[in-house]
Amino acid sequence: MRKLAVLATSVALLASSSFAKEINVGVTMSMSGPLAAYGQTAYEGIEFANSLQPKLKNGDTVKLVLVDTKGDKVESANAATRLISSDKVVGILGELTSTNTAQVMAIAEKKQIPVISPVATNDKLTEQKEFANRVCFTDSFQGAVVANYAVKDLKLKTAVVVVDQAQVYSLGLAKAFTEAFTKAGGKIVKEIKVSSGDKDFKAVVSQIKAANPDFLFLPMYHPEVSMIARQAKQIGLVKPMFSGDGVANQTFIDLGGDAVEGYMFTDFFDYGAPPTQRSKDFIAAYSQKTGKQEVNSFVALGADAYNLMVDAMNRCANPEDSICINKEIKATVNFEGVSGVINMDKTGNSTRSAVIKVVQNGKAVYKATVNP
Amino acid sequence: MDLTMFMQQMVNGFSLGSMYALIAIGYTMVYGVLRLINFAHGDIMMVGGFLGYFGIAVLDLPFGAAVLLAIVGSALLGMASDRIAYRPLRSAPKISLLITAIGVSFFLENAFNVFFGGVPRAFPVPAYLENVVDFMSLTMPVSAIIVPIITAFLLAIILWVLYKTKYGMAIRALAFDVGTVNLMGIDANRIITLVFGMGSALAAVGGIFWAVNYPSVEPMMGVLVGLKAFAAAVVGGIGSVGGAVLGGLIIGFTEVVVIAFFPELGGYKDAFAFIFLILILLFKPTGILGIDFEKSRF
Repeated sequence: MRKLAVLATSVALLASSSFAKEINVGVTMSMSGPLAAYGQTAYEGIEFANSLQPKLKNGDTVKLVLVDTKGDKVESANAATRLISSDKVVGILGELTSTNTAQVMAIAEKKQIPVISPVATNDKLTEQKEFANRVCFTDSFQGAVVANYAVKDLKLKTAVVVVDQAQVYSLGLAKAFTEAFTKAGGKIVKEIKVSSGDKDFKAVVSQIKAANPDFLFLPMYHPEVSMIARQAKQIGLVKPMFSGDGVANQTFIDLGGDAVEGYMFTDFFDYGAPPTQRSKDFIAAYSQKTGKQEVNSFVALGADAYNLMVDAMNRCANPEDSICINKEIKATVNFEGVSGVINMDKTGNSTRSAVIKVVQNGKAVYKATVNP
Repeated sequence: MDLTMFMQQMVNGFSLGSMYALIAIGYTMVYGVLRLINFAHGDIMMVGGFLGYFGIAVLDLPFGAAVLLAIVGSALLGMASDRIAYRPLRSAPKISLLITAIGVSFFLENAFNVFFGGVPRAFPVPAYLENVVDFMSLTMPVSAIIVPIITAFLLAIILWVLYKTKYGMAIRALAFDVGTVNLMGIDANRIITLVFGMGSALAAVGGIFWAVNYPSVEPMMGVLVGLKAFAAAVVGGIGSVGGAVLGGLIIGFTEVVVIAFFPELGGYKDAFAFIFLILILLFKPTGILGIDFEKSRF
């Protein structure tokens, strides 16, 4: 049966190789649900990159097939299965959160379809996986960036960490931060666990106020962090607060209002300091189309995930050969991305820089770049 | 834990519990008359929050007028859901009603998702509600004081309607026996519509409070709150208005106490609400203020 399938495919390939065709690339994103703000932003980047570079060098067209995961674990797994079995995609871009991406990667691994995640940062995601890749940094890098910056530049010595135990991302980042912070000479005075979907953090912030740390590290996503910041302000808890890339979004600032002024977070990219020629071009094209200069970092990483996939496809003799695409993704070095220069390694992780931003007057403002 | 901290947590629990209570009253009243667990109730609360948002952010109404819009709009929606979805099934088995309620819930969530997207919108809270009050070394926003007061006030109105008015008598009679009430010349459908209207109006107030305390609105905001308010209604004794309030406060305090005393278990605070539910169902299936459905109502 398998031989027959291979034969049929090769015949089909031979027959079609003479004229250009459409090749499906899958996208799994949270377009609705609590994480919709991220999904819509990242997809905007993927879609825009696709409009800039819709064709492969052999003339084939890349067609995006989007499935909404609703920010849900099970839906993410279903989306991956559906893309691979019925849409016959050669590769998948997405998901966003580490929890959901783990589902997509587990399914793609079995079917030998390469995945490139734009922003899933959990360390374990790419471990012992052949077909899992990402263009973002990992949590151990991000956690160390925050810890070192807090201790060395801001001279903050004690911290309270609030962990969202329902998110792999949060657990991983909290662990990475705790290790790096302790090593740098800091002390964690309290760790509090919460769950995503919570709105009421009054009890949590009351606890933190009693612990009186130098600063708060909140490795979570924006819906919860914005609520914590607001409720902290309400009980008069005014301390420096820090998060990872999980809050790198304008929605975070809209929801947090005044309470997130001065809030600091790590991010991948800042449009005010374009790191490559490609990012300058991208920002120019983007502002021409949308009328705004601000390219969100999720847009940039979405675009990079797409461009890296297309780049790898171009280097394969047959751009529909998923195994070759995966090999080429991992062999990518000095890739000029929108968000910066990306070097992939054979584990599927990328080596890249991070930026630190601070919220000022309702906008995220560039503060520093940290290289690995 | 010192006394100030303890008091602060009590204030937090009281404010949260009052919101659950408001929503739980709607569950309990509809259950009382129809024996229906109206799973769409949490979503009516979401609609209330959205209407408030539109009143303020889009129509530029003053806060009070936006609240009124939310109350009237949600009450109409609640009555319409009864007219369209539940009334045709009056004589059908109870399980059909329950499934329809879940359908109405999904419909509302998805309709709002389609029209407004899933991205949370910042709720414009009037500054005077966000002001912070210092009271005997406790710090709290004005809303933390106002929410329990308004809840108590609304509860008083509901109890007055139930026990001092003709309509209240009709509601209580209806809860006792629908068939007989119809024979007595009371239009049962009109009374049921009234119950839906009252419950939904309270849910709208709950939704606005929710949006004020956690300043955002999004289509799924009613799901977990609805489930917890349902748990509150059962814990307190479903069918009893006082029980709904008591249950709401118990669930609110439980959540806060879990975090205050066991920060490590904070992530499981939702589980505690439902553990309460299971324990109550095991040992006192009618709830704390549970009523014997063969004897009296509310």
